[in-house]
Amino acid sequence: MIEFAATYAGLYFKGLLLGLGLTVAAMAGAFLIGLFVALARLSQRGWLRAAGGAYVALFRGIPPLVLLYLVYFGLPAWAAQVGNPFLIALLGPLDNRLLAATLAFSVNAGAYTTEIIRASIQALPADQMEAAKSIGMTHGLAMRRIVLPQSLRIAFPPLCNEFIVILKGTSLASVIGVTELMRSAQMVAAATFLNLQAYILAAMFYVVAVIVLQTLSSLIELKLLAGSTTGD
Amino acid sequence: MVANDVRYTEVLRIEALGKSFKGTPVLSNVNLTVHRGETVAIIGPSGSGKTTLLRSVNFLAPYDSGKILLNGKLMGYVERGGRLQPDTDANISRLRRSTGMVFQRFALFQHRTVLQNLIEGPVHVLGLSRELACERARTALKTVGLSDKIDQYPARLSGGQQQRVGIARALCMEPDILLFDEPTSALDPELVGEVLSVMRQLRGQNRTMLIVTHEIGFAADVADRVVFMEAGAIIDDRPAREFFGKPNNARIEAFLARHRNERSSSI
Ligand SMILES: Nc1ncnc2c1ncn2[C@@H]1O[C@H](COP(=O)(O)OP(=O)(O)O)[C@@H](O)[C@H]1O
Ligand SMILES: [Mg+2]
Repeated sequence: MIEFAATYAGLYFKGLLLGLGLTVAAMAGAFLIGLFVALARLSQRGWLRAAGGAYVALFRGIPPLVLLYLVYFGLPAWAAQVGNPFLIALLGPLDNRLLAATLAFSVNAGAYTTEIIRASIQALPADQMEAAKSIGMTHGLAMRRIVLPQSLRIAFPPLCNEFIVILKGTSLASVIGVTELMRSAQMVAAATFLNLQAYILAAMFYVVAVIVLQTLSSLIELKLLAGSTTGD
Repeated sequence: MVANDVRYTEVLRIEALGKSFKGTPVLSNVNLTVHRGETVAIIGPSGSGKTTLLRSVNFLAPYDSGKILLNGKLMGYVERGGRLQPDTDANISRLRRSTGMVFQRFALFQHRTVLQNLIEGPVHVLGLSRELACERARTALKTVGLSDKIDQYPARLSGGQQQRVGIARALCMEPDILLFDEPTSALDPELVGEVLSVMRQLRGQNRTMLIVTHEIGFAADVADRVVFMEAGAIIDDRPAREFFGKPNNARIEAFLARHRNERSSSI
């Protein structure tokens, strides 16, 4: 096993890096989606609240693998079928495996990120918003300057957790041929017939990566906590 | 407008104000006027609608009927074709600048230092330069006696100190009227005095203040007028001397007696 690991570690590591890159991109997308949909869910306008709720209900319900197929196989093919040049220009690029995976994982994780950010905004005492309004801030300004900076600190640990969930989910991208960690393991297994070793090594790579990420997030969390209670 | 015009000195005018929470009325036909430089105390039993009335003034609690006029301008609604329609968030926020609020539980911005709490509004709402805002902040901190805490985070301050920062934050916006919602009721008894003494000082500067309080002695001391609320209505509104000299209602008399006893027993 040690010999096996030594032989393929480099290949696996490349796969892990690709998976991490995909995760960073998907997390960035999910964060932006989550921020806007959470604000919509807490909006004073009823139709925005409804639209935000619909987003979460829909994309929390679709399994990520189904979403991946829809985005990678479904959308570009549909655009080509319709033949509308605008649709082809818009959806054609989803032919690209990495782009399709990034979009699918962003949209999926966006639903969870929405709920994390919404909950963290609601966890903040209501008097923060009221005090901000009492000095003449509009709802938007109060959100931006007073509520969100505090809420996002609350949201940090669950967002880190979501990052880890996305990373493990990137293994699904192997089915559309993205050469991330799982795909590397499949190729090694196919070439060596050492299925058990190939997948145990992949599992170990995931475990180590997750432990490193968790440690990193705890360290940052401590820093954030220190910043809010003491001087710089 | 002529300087001695009555309306000119009316900072706040509340007319026939009404509000219900889910069908239960909490304010009914409330009328109240506060003139420039006046200190008005609102007292009354718990649940009588004092907080709701105060929060209607800056529209943190929207009212359903009647009118609130700040410097003659209608708060929260616009009149269109004889009908009142909800005003925009931008307009409501702008009119709110003429009010400053001091909260029962301080409500300081926890992620900001004292100085940052104080310049937040002046810089980001009023558009003042940083230097000017900091100057205002230092003046306000001197008023409340906390110049040495300028770079502290709120969590590091005692309740009394936090409340004084809360007052300073309101002062920095230079509002036309200060609204206090039981500013000392969340404080340990030994910290009440420092906050009341700051408020006394503001009274000495002829600020316009509307103060909800359970500190009867303090109200008797600083208020020009006392308003007594009961079950969502104002049942007495008289100059302080008269109000305390000869209560005109047995229930008010009982309330005052009870609270005077509480005070003497707690000190
Ligand atoms: N957000 C709310 N929802 C429902 N009822 C409320 C709300 N806020 C206050 N009330 C009710 O309105 C009444 C007046 O409350 P309040 O203004 O807080 O009184 P006070 O400040 O005099 O103690 C109380 O009966 C209270 O239960
Ligand atoms: Mg109250």
